[in-house]
Amino acid sequence: MKIEIENNHFQLSSSGVAYWEEQKTLLIADVHLGKISHFRKYGSAVPKDAILSNFNKLTESIKIYSPKKIIFLGDLFHSAKNLEWNLFENWLAIQTAEVVLIAGNHDIISPLHYEALKVKIYQELQLGKFKLTHHPEEQENTFNICGHIHPGYRLAGMAKQHLKLKCFFKSKYQLILPAFGEFTGVFLMKPEAEDQIFVCASSKVIQVM
Amino acid sequence: MNKKELLTIAENWFTQQGWKPFPFQKKTWDAYLKGKNGLLNAPTGSGKTYALWVPIVLEYLKQNPNYKTKPQKGLKAIWITPLRALSVEIAQAATRFAEETNSGLTVGIRTGDTSQKERAAQKKSMPDLLITTPESLHLLLSSKNYPKLFKNLNAIVVDEWHELLGSKRGVQTELALSRLKTVSKNLKIWGISATIGNLPQAQEVLLGAEGEALQNSTLIKANIQKQIEVKSIIPESMEKFPWRGHLGLHLLDEIIPILNNSKTTLIFTNTRSQCELWFQKLMNKYPEFAGEVAMHHGSINKETRLWVEQAIRNESLKAVICTSSLDLGVDFAPVETIIQIGGPKGVARFLQRAGRSGHQPGKASRIYFLPTHAMELIEAAALQKAVEKKAVEDRIPYLQSFDVLVQYLTTLAVSDGFYPNEIYPEIKSTFCFQGLTEDEWRWCLNFITKGSQSLQTYDEYKKVEIEDDGKFKVNHRGVAMRHRLQIGTIVSDAMLTVKYIKGGYIGTVEEWFISKLKPGDVFMFAGRNLELSRIKGMQVLVRKSKKKTAKVPSWMGGRMTFSAQMSELLREELYEAAESLSVTSSLSSSLKTSSVEKSPELTALQPILERQQLESIIPKQDEFLIETFKTREGYHAIFYPFEGRFVHEALGSLLAYRISLLSPISFSIAFNDYGFELLSDQEIDMQQVLDNNLFSAEFLMDDLYKSLNATEMARRKFRDIAVVAGLVFTGYPNKLIKSKHLQSSSQLLFDVFRDYEDDNLLFQQAFRETFEHQLEEGRLRLALERIHQQKIVWKSCQKPTPFSFPIITDRLREKLSSEKLEDRIQRMLKQLEK
Repeated sequence: MKIEIENNHFQLSSSGVAYWEEQKTLLIADVHLGKISHFRKYGSAVPKDAILSNFNKLTESIKIYSPKKIIFLGDLFHSAKNLEWNLFENWLAIQTAEVVLIAGNHDIISPLHYEALKVKIYQELQLGKFKLTHHPEEQENTFNICGHIHPGYRLAGMAKQHLKLKCFFKSKYQLILPAFGEFTGVFLMKPEAEDQIFVCASSKVIQVM
Repeated sequence: MNKKELLTIAENWFTQQGWKPFPFQKKTWDAYLKGKNGLLNAPTGSGKTYALWVPIVLEYLKQNPNYKTKPQKGLKAIWITPLRALSVEIAQAATRFAEETNSGLTVGIRTGDTSQKERAAQKKSMPDLLITTPESLHLLLSSKNYPKLFKNLNAIVVDEWHELLGSKRGVQTELALSRLKTVSKNLKIWGISATIGNLPQAQEVLLGAEGEALQNSTLIKANIQKQIEVKSIIPESMEKFPWRGHLGLHLLDEIIPILNNSKTTLIFTNTRSQCELWFQKLMNKYPEFAGEVAMHHGSINKETRLWVEQAIRNESLKAVICTSSLDLGVDFAPVETIIQIGGPKGVARFLQRAGRSGHQPGKASRIYFLPTHAMELIEAAALQKAVEKKAVEDRIPYLQSFDVLVQYLTTLAVSDGFYPNEIYPEIKSTFCFQGLTEDEWRWCLNFITKGSQSLQTYDEYKKVEIEDDGKFKVNHRGVAMRHRLQIGTIVSDAMLTVKYIKGGYIGTVEEWFISKLKPGDVFMFAGRNLELSRIKGMQVLVRKSKKKTAKVPSWMGGRMTFSAQMSELLREELYEAAESLSVTSSLSSSLKTSSVEKSPELTALQPILERQQLESIIPKQDEFLIETFKTREGYHAIFYPFEGRFVHEALGSLLAYRISLLSPISFSIAFNDYGFELLSDQEIDMQQVLDNNLFSAEFLMDDLYKSLNATEMARRKFRDIAVVAGLVFTGYPNKLIKSKHLQSSSQLLFDVFRDYEDDNLLFQQAFRETFEHQLEEGRLRLALERIHQQKIVWKSCQKPTPFSFPIITDRLREKLSSEKLEDRIQRMLKQLEK
């Protein structure tokens, strides 16, 4: 699904990423790496094999778009540094694109560690008319692209049917990306008339509002 | 002292009280003093406490002839009770005998209510008899040096064993007993149980499969016969009788004469919200009862509950509206009458409630059944027969509960640590784990030490460590602390305390209910209308409100199902109704009176039965009814096996799954004790369902397993398993970790296990438990066989029939779909456009 915002074009993918054509940039929000290791460290035996799935999913998305730049919109890591950091290091080593992180509330790992891996960290990033942040921000004359919320949408139909799906949430000056991470929940959005909702189905994105 | 002298002490004491020991009490004293284990089958209020406490005291006197001058310190007996509320009463009874016989024995209580200070004091010097719960006993097993504590333990009595038996708390009890059998050398184990269908099995579960303890044991039955009168409350006119609903408030006026004619009446409701509503409506309509009617349920604060219980004993109350909170223990002599509102769903529960009245010897127990909707009248008739036949249900014990085992092993690792070779035979000796294989055992050990079955380099899993000499031990203080907080097998929603702003504790309420309210909203609680002021930490601050309308917290509680026995009686009743209807309609009116004699319930139901007959049919013994009709909601298909809720849940998913294989379709599935509904936005091709023989018992397990994957049943079971096994941490006391977080993370966990580790024993347990305890595979097979013998009658109806009404209006639903996600979304969007 492709949408146009302020004469720029974004491809929305069912994996939850958005590819910004003009900037050749892949936008990814709320991956929450390290969450499974974090649970395990506290004695909760979540299956380890699930750890790799986030990295596999990332690699797949990148293969589709071959971006020049990858911008993580915050909450890249769920918690303090744990051994999943090593996997992240390995993953970074084979990336050709530039990697940027907009710090989120979960990103408590020291910027020095990121810098050592040549990952640039910002609190926010202004690219032309677009302001990239982790927390949603409303500001006139600028379009905000962000994460943090983990937006989801509940779709209801006849015969008491309903579906809860991850979604992209677009309002007049804002696009909120769904959480990319595997082991994360969703927050149900209550859209107003002028908002737009794009839900992530299994292999495509469908606009429902 | 010889045995005769000892028994004289007891009998003298009984004479002093003006009592005479019952034969079952004497039998139990004798068996205990012979060193036997056993199970005592005796109802509440029969003197069961003295049946076992007396010989425990006598044994001590015998072992310590100088007990007056040289008392032996330390724990001698443990009394396990499922409800904290019962512990006070047991302690009073036990103390009375211990003191009046000058035994010098002390009695203490240790439950979740016991203060830190008192616990510490107990640790230093244990009382001789400790009254406790399964959870608190496990907490003792998690403390350092516990074997010393239990060294001189003579007896463990497990009270209300029938309550624990069918739950994981039963497994917890089994595991604790397996350890104490080794630690305490002279241990006798006794259970006390109300009447259930499988008493010998209850004895086996308590004492361990095929062990020494079981061989040296006995089953003693009190055989106290009690006469029970059952009556249904039937309105004068059936016109106002609703087809659905579950409150029964339309019959409020009918209970007033009953209340007036009885000293004290207990009114049992099935849920706490129903309890609140009945109280409120009764007060509004009959204000003259103010001060004479009270309310009692599990969420009301302890002081109020104790006050109500005391007021019942003092005869200062005319009626108490209550829930299962008054099912157990507590003997109320003044109670003359019981009213049961809505189906009790089980014969044992109904009998137990009936037994709360008419306690004086020779008096009959009187219970009224108040049906909440028309169909429940059939249930009322069936219940009467059940009481006549004493068709009491079994309590099914849990098998292979790996979640409880994993928790128990961690408990042992937290205290002194354990060596697997010592513990394995103990665990194998329990009923629950008699089938435990060495592979499964190794799996559990790996789970607590490595968090999986293979070791990978980047893992930081931390829980139990294996020390150099092979001891399994928890050394990390945080892990130990979190584990102690999590011990237990009851998983509930987070509870918040409700308080007045000015102070004054009112009770507790589930977090999810409060989360739906805004400050200023008014809700009904403990019989009062309260306005929410704000939420502070774990406290809900409220003020009194004068507003008339209020929200009622609908506390979640497991919905109960009909037992197999009840279902059978219900079917019989229904077939009878069908027969009688065809008799009356085929005979001329002059002969009507002399035809089949009908129960008052069925007579009252006549207009509704006639309407059902007109729009569809009332199935006879050899018929299986399917109704289809269309409403604004979509296409309904209703099936009527009359097998009880759980079997219908299974059948519903099974059939939905099989139909969904024929062509892509999505279903919403509802079920009650009479039948189940498949609702879809597409018409179901019923002819194809019949032609393809979709009720076949072939490939039953395989299809069921797949349908479970497609619905939420196993997922819900997994939530509890994940908490018990310590996969999900529910939080520190008084620190609010939203229970939503627990919910979603156990939901997410389920998906992660399904996708990455579906051979995990805990994950598989969720499915096994669904089969064994929810779907009741055995009953399901029988039901399918029965349907196979019956003639299928498919009625295409114009509109919802009386039978279908309670089902199609049920909001608790399962879903199942074989459509592609994309297609479903597109179709929902199209429907929205219309």
